[in-house]
Amino acid sequence: MAVYKRKFSPYQGERTPPWSRWLIIPRYAYAKVFASRITTAFFVACFVWPLICAAVIYIRYNVSFLETFGLQLGDFKGVLAINARFFLNFLYIQGFLSFLLTILVGPGLVSADLSHNALPLYLCRPFSRTEYILGKMLVLLILLSAITWAPGLLLIGLQTSLAGLGWLSEHPLVAPALLVGSAIWIVTLSLLSLAISAWVRWKPVAAAALFGVFFILPGMGQIINVTLEVDFGDIFNIIMVFFTIWAWLFQVSFRGDLTLVEAWLALSGFCGLCLLILNRKLQAYEVVS
Amino acid sequence: MASIGVQDRIVFQNVSKFYGEVLGINRVNLSIPAGITSLVGPNGSGKTTLLNLMTGLLQPSQGSISVLGISPTEPGQLFRRAGYCSQFDSFPRRLTGYQFIYGFLRIHGFGHPKADELTWQSLRQVKLEEAARRKVAGYSKGMRQRVKLAQAIAHQPDILILDEPLNGLDPLARAEMISLFQQLASSGLHVVISSHILHEVDLISDQVVLLDSGYVVAEGAIRGVRDEVKEHPAQILVRCDRPSQVAARLFQEDHIVEASLHEDQRGLLIRTRDSNRFYACLNRVVLEDQVQIETVAPADEDVESVYQYLIGQNGGAA
Repeated sequence: MAVYKRKFSPYQGERTPPWSRWLIIPRYAYAKVFASRITTAFFVACFVWPLICAAVIYIRYNVSFLETFGLQLGDFKGVLAINARFFLNFLYIQGFLSFLLTILVGPGLVSADLSHNALPLYLCRPFSRTEYILGKMLVLLILLSAITWAPGLLLIGLQTSLAGLGWLSEHPLVAPALLVGSAIWIVTLSLLSLAISAWVRWKPVAAAALFGVFFILPGMGQIINVTLEVDFGDIFNIIMVFFTIWAWLFQVSFRGDLTLVEAWLALSGFCGLCLLILNRKLQAYEVVS
Repeated sequence: MASIGVQDRIVFQNVSKFYGEVLGINRVNLSIPAGITSLVGPNGSGKTTLLNLMTGLLQPSQGSISVLGISPTEPGQLFRRAGYCSQFDSFPRRLTGYQFIYGFLRIHGFGHPKADELTWQSLRQVKLEEAARRKVAGYSKGMRQRVKLAQAIAHQPDILILDEPLNGLDPLARAEMISLFQQLASSGLHVVISSHILHEVDLISDQVVLLDSGYVVAEGAIRGVRDEVKEHPAQILVRCDRPSQVAARLFQEDHIVEASLHEDQRGLLIRTRDSNRFYACLNRVVLEDQVQIETVAPADEDVESVYQYLIGQNGGAA
């Protein structure tokens, strides 16, 4: 047997802290996301509605200024009240746009790694599955935050600056409701898209499946309601689940069949199922028996 | 487990891995020293399972594993010292060769300047510097194998675990890869390779582990393994000036099973049950009959023959 003499010494220097390593994943993911013109254009388009809202808020407090130009906006103040309902509507629209952005970005995040057998490459580092999932989720978390709660809070800031601090004390729940409502929406979307991406592994099918979860599953829920003459089929309607929770957060009325407890339970179930799928599908090594 | 004796070895103690009811490997005991160790066996014999257990990508159903004194259940420590190259073309899409290696070094915890330096160093080692800025998707098969190897060696590991690294390579690329393995092993690394290409395994391995149906059939330096295969007589090739006379003398010995003359009348192939007695006898013949010996060489002391004896014919031993 040959006798080998060690001729090198491994790196003994300082390393980056473990918590920062999963931040490496979004860096390359964004390069890929913004390489697509469609995704980039859509992401930019997602800021149109916040800009319109900002314009509305500005106009709401500058009617007299606009009237100097001959515009008759006397009833404008009454029609567009800037209140909890205004920001809930903002969240409805930005939530829908973030769903579309998730369909564009989410399905390719994990499926590409799985279909290329690249997972062992990540996991044969000082890097866990949890960190891998967090890194991939962060891609969506940052993108979706940029079009939901971040512009929403800026709008609240604009509104407060124009209306005065009195408005904020009259609507103390709006900012936390917007933040929490956006956060649970973003986390649920991210988990759902990663789980479907890990399960299906083929980007177009994963995108279709994500669409189906939001628009076909509620139909199945309705079929259950009608055929079994029950009303728990609505728990499969993830849009209804969120509308119920958001309405409670913003303290506005919403006519839905789900109670708040049912909505939270359904949401927990969705997220738990996603985590279960991710735990099962994101294995370091797949064994074909 | 982490005693002094295992600090420089990869040790498996009674390790089994079952995938449900399917056997991966069963009751494996191994102690792998530094140098090049090859895992050899047919498809489904448990080579990849063994490598994945070594790297902690799989957990054993029973038994314990220690890699240079570190348990594979501590990936943070283990993967600082181990480099792994899977058998699949495992590439995150759209990355260049440089990004591929640099990104994983950052995940390893290297800061930008060090990661950049190590990336170029590893690309130089595998001779991919010029292709570093090209997308990996556009690389040839040989280049992909090399960039995979580069990501495994980039963080300067003590152990290199390579799953089928010679697959799909043309002879020239294989020769280059083998030379690289030898170079890495000579710098003090543990290099563990699984391969089907037996004659090349034979050239580079310090020791082999023969696997079949999840069991370790044989382990050790190839000559030692061959000596243990008693049921197959050893084959020895003798080139000399009077082969027929030598054959006649040797046939008087009870351990000689067969002696066949070469067509050119300059050599003979001996099959013997006891190679030590054969060599003693040959010495006597040379001295007494003044035979001119050109070469004496074992004809089946290689991985391919041992594989054939232990796995090829019997279908493996349990």
